[in-house]
Amino acid sequence: MSKSSGKVKAGQLWSKNKDELTKQLGELKTELSQLRIQKIVSSGTKLTKIHDIRKSIARVLTVINAKQRAQLRLFYKNKKYLPLDLRAKQTRAIRRRLSPEDASRVLEKTKKRQTHFPQRKFAVKHHQPPTQATMSADPLQVLASAGKGESTRGLLRVIILALIAGAAIASRLFSVIRFESIIHEFDPWFNFRATKYLVANGFYNFWDWFDDRTWHPLGRVTGGTLYPGLMVTSGVIYHALRALTIPVDIRNICVLLAPAFSGLTAVAAYLLTNEMTPSSSAGLLAALFMGIAPGYISRSVAGSYDNEAIAIFLLVFTFYLWIKALKQGSMLWGALCALFYGYMVASWGGYAFITCLLPLHAFVLVCMGRYSTRLYVAYTTWYALGTLASMQIPFVGFLPVKTSEHMPALGIFGFLQLLAFLDYVRSAIPSRQFQTFLWLFAGGTFGLGLLGLVVATSAGFIAPWSGRFYSLWDTGYAKIHIPIIASVSEHQPTAWPAFFFDLNMLIWLFPVGVYLCFQQLADEHVFIVVYALFGSYFAGVMVRLMLTLTPVVCVAAAIAVSTLLDTYLSVKTPKPEASQPAEAAEGKKAAKSGLKSTNKPVVGIYAVWGKSMMVSALAVYLLLFVLHCTWVTSNAYSSPSVVLASRMPDGSQHIIDDYREAYQWLRQNTREDAKIMSWWDYGYQIGGMADRPTLVDNNTWNNTHIATVGKAMSSREEVSYPIMRQHEVDYVLVVFGGLLGYSGDDINKFLWMVRIAEGIWPDEVSERAFFTQRGEYRVDGEATETMKNSLMYKMSYYNYNNLFPAGQAVDRMRQARLPEVGPTLSTMEEAFTSENWIIRIYKVKDLDNLGRDHMSAAAFDRGHKKKKATKKRGPRSLRVD
Amino acid sequence: MRLLTLLSLTLLGGVTGSLAAASAKKTPQERFQLYHAKSLSSSPVKLSDPSYRELTATPRDYAVAVLLTAMDARYGCQLCREFQPEWELLARSWTGGDKAGESRVVFGTLDFGDGRDIFMSLGLQTAPVLFFFPPTAGPHAAASAEPIRYDFTGGAQAAEVVHSWVARHLPDRPHPPIKRPINWMRWISSLVILSGGLTVSFVAWPYVLPVIQSRTVWAAVTLISILLFTSGHMFNHIRNVPYVAGDGRGGISYFASGFQNQYGLETQIVAAMYGILALSSISLAIKVPRMSDPRAQGVAFIAWFGILFVVYSLLLSIFRGKNPGYTFSLPPFM
Repeated sequence: MSKSSGKVKAGQLWSKNKDELTKQLGELKTELSQLRIQKIVSSGTKLTKIHDIRKSIARVLTVINAKQRAQLRLFYKNKKYLPLDLRAKQTRAIRRRLSPEDASRVLEKTKKRQTHFPQRKFAVKHHQPPTQATMSADPLQVLASAGKGESTRGLLRVIILALIAGAAIASRLFSVIRFESIIHEFDPWFNFRATKYLVANGFYNFWDWFDDRTWHPLGRVTGGTLYPGLMVTSGVIYHALRALTIPVDIRNICVLLAPAFSGLTAVAAYLLTNEMTPSSSAGLLAALFMGIAPGYISRSVAGSYDNEAIAIFLLVFTFYLWIKALKQGSMLWGALCALFYGYMVASWGGYAFITCLLPLHAFVLVCMGRYSTRLYVAYTTWYALGTLASMQIPFVGFLPVKTSEHMPALGIFGFLQLLAFLDYVRSAIPSRQFQTFLWLFAGGTFGLGLLGLVVATSAGFIAPWSGRFYSLWDTGYAKIHIPIIASVSEHQPTAWPAFFFDLNMLIWLFPVGVYLCFQQLADEHVFIVVYALFGSYFAGVMVRLMLTLTPVVCVAAAIAVSTLLDTYLSVKTPKPEASQPAEAAEGKKAAKSGLKSTNKPVVGIYAVWGKSMMVSALAVYLLLFVLHCTWVTSNAYSSPSVVLASRMPDGSQHIIDDYREAYQWLRQNTREDAKIMSWWDYGYQIGGMADRPTLVDNNTWNNTHIATVGKAMSSREEVSYPIMRQHEVDYVLVVFGGLLGYSGDDINKFLWMVRIAEGIWPDEVSERAFFTQRGEYRVDGEATETMKNSLMYKMSYYNYNNLFPAGQAVDRMRQARLPEVGPTLSTMEEAFTSENWIIRIYKVKDLDNLGRDHMSAAAFDRGHKKKKATKKRGPRSLRVD
Repeated sequence: MRLLTLLSLTLLGGVTGSLAAASAKKTPQERFQLYHAKSLSSSPVKLSDPSYRELTATPRDYAVAVLLTAMDARYGCQLCREFQPEWELLARSWTGGDKAGESRVVFGTLDFGDGRDIFMSLGLQTAPVLFFFPPTAGPHAAASAEPIRYDFTGGAQAAEVVHSWVARHLPDRPHPPIKRPINWMRWISSLVILSGGLTVSFVAWPYVLPVIQSRTVWAAVTLISILLFTSGHMFNHIRNVPYVAGDGRGGISYFASGFQNQYGLETQIVAAMYGILALSSISLAIKVPRMSDPRAQGVAFIAWFGILFVVYSLLLSIFRGKNPGYTFSLPPFM
């Protein structure tokens, strides 16, 4: 470096290191002192040079200082405290200010006050004295302004909701109008019988009810093995009406309970949808969809007095309360949610759907990083109170802490406690590393808990998945292990026409609504997404669970339709140039929201023709939907199945009333305690209508007992007779559709009887033996010997060929020509056959008076001589010596 | 059938008789000792014509389970090859668990190549056939010397199923359980795959994270699964329906007749139609009102509106095909 190089440039200094800089500084300083001496020695000569050197020294010092500070900043980068001189200075006031996080903190109490009592906004209306002119204003003007005021809107909404509820009820009354006020199908008959018992004997007797008229000779602890919600609801309504001195028959309450509750379901769907979107039309549309969607009507027509009748209302309303509780973080709403959850548990086994869906929702929220105190309060309140409430039902008892399907709820409860604790700790200790450690700790604990659950399950402390629930996940499970579950037609998987049949256009509006939920994706929208995913999976696996899918389909479709309507039904038409500048400004803001399609701002629809086209098309679709729903309800879901309707050749309606005819016969012509054996489908009806004890019924809790009946039906008479004697069977009832072409008869269900019996006695009953060599299931002359000799076959076709000219007997259901000689029965005799041969009842013969076996006695009666007992020969065996 | 078996047994007995006469007549005890010793070295015992006859000769105080199979590739017996390892496992673990021969069972295999005459004499047309010969003498003697035939209707069964069948026919005797060897290869390979997967996910985490956190990805996954479920995919999965079927005239029918039936392709068509309907509705609700150019907006509106209208009409007409009683329709597919 050359000495006295003149001015130093700061730009050159930055590349030098510390030593070089100090060296240069020393040189400059010596030069300066030399110059000072020179100045004294020779006065007034080199003044300018001194100035330059001083500036150079300053530059070097500045660079040294800056470098030092830069090093220090690097050194303190990850340290907790920064030296004061390295901090941003700003002003004293700014330094003392609260952090934005602290500044925005609000007391819990204040927060509640703000949500419950927000500041009201008043608009001062210009008051006009009523003059003659306004009084006689155009009535059209008044009508047009009617929908403007808030109170008018509220009133309109109430009126519309009431009309929707009315429509929901009215569309379920087809069967009452066509037939009469009658209970439908199978399970409702048991519920009806139980309700009558409850009304007659009071609640406590009902609770302790041991029913010795079913499952003979076992009996059933009915009070402890049913969901009492339905019966108690109708009982309460009955007594309330009586207290109001309105005498109503309990049967009419039972018949009309489901339609009445469907009206409430529509209102619940309105409330739930209103939580999802600010548009109030969506709620009304959801109520309308819910009211008339066939997927829900299928289980709630008048007379369908089943658990689902009230359970769907409870389901939707519980979800509404859950959303409300979650949004507000309020204990009150959480407790209400738990209350209705308890009611739901008391009503329907499907409560497990709620038990699994709410924890899943909470879990998804936590995974999305949306843990909040609101979630904590809502969930823990619901879980603690709801579980206590559910354990009050004897049938549920301690299941919520013992079975696997309740474990997710318990696990998430524990997980939330942990998170709340960690959240508290985090707020107290603001170290970053510590937080990472804590999150790891939380994850580890969760994993350990899961592991513990698995271990406890395999060790047998917690019951493994119960069959019915497990078969939802492993779809092949039921068919192999629990044929009785697989045999029920409503447990079959759903083909696509069933979806379209039950939901019509909602089925393709459903994904649209879910997509719209992704737009905002607040906590409640996450719920809809989770519900939609799992609901559609379950509905695909089991036809019956279409019922749980319908509410979310209605809500999502309503959101979709209301978005379309709001867009295309607005009167305002945007100006093309006005919207341009706004676009750029808002584009940036919206970019963060997540979905690509919503990055641009809404402009609106320009063309009036487009608006009118879209609106009229939507109107046509909605009209078509209403027509479809009415058509489906009227054709498919309004048949009581106890009474069948058919058309005569001249087009008039003909009622086929064989079931009631047969049950009435049983009631009037048999002893009070005559035991009736039939396939389990008819157990409830016999109990309800004929009031006679049965061996098995639709409450399929004892598989072995059902298999016993199946074995008796599918074996030869010699095998069946001892079974029937052992169970004191007096009459056997079979359903036969061959004459009328009625598909739901016992021959069609026969293979399930065989399968269920084979499950218990694989050596004695074999499904293979009922199929011909070519693998066909036949009833005509080519049927297998096992089939022809089975009790069910004999009872179905006994005497049937006498109806036809010789050799021309035809089974109209299976389009099969029957053999010329019909089957003979020796251990039982025909007691009753209904008008259209749908029900046939046989009396089991007592032991023969002369001590003969029934075969020879029957042969004697037919006129055959008793065969001389020939010399008995042992099995031929080969002797080898 | 019964006559045939009886006949064959007579024949069989006769032959055995002559054989036994020729080969210094063994008592049943001796025969069992012989074959049990053989099976200790390799179970099931590989049988041939004469040894099969000797083993199943009456009287016998032991039980025999014989699998008649055809392992040669020429016969193309898929079931035989599938069942063979299970059968060997059963025989090995039974004999291994009962070295002293307390259950008095011998497991044997007779291949078609070694015992053509036996197959002929039994009149067997199919393989595999599993016979169980109950003892005819001793404390557990059965009434009939006829073998019991195992039913292979359910396809190749696991060793456990056959084990329970054999055990059912051997009451009051020890039933050594099946010991499946630990499949080391599978454990090791799954461990390797697991650790590999962990490593990959650890390395790729920064790239995967934005995908996981992307709302669009989640929306797409959700909508696709909803479309799959609501178009009856689970039905296909559970019922194993065919993908398409012929219509009987040489063509392909895409849609199954009947309300309760469907084909694989049919559900995919329906899912696609639902998807198109949903997509056009989404476009009409979200995309179109966000277009700032009036002309472009008009064109887009017409396009989506037309697609929606036509596809819904098509859907209705397909549904009418499935459910002939259905009365509603929309133009153009009336």
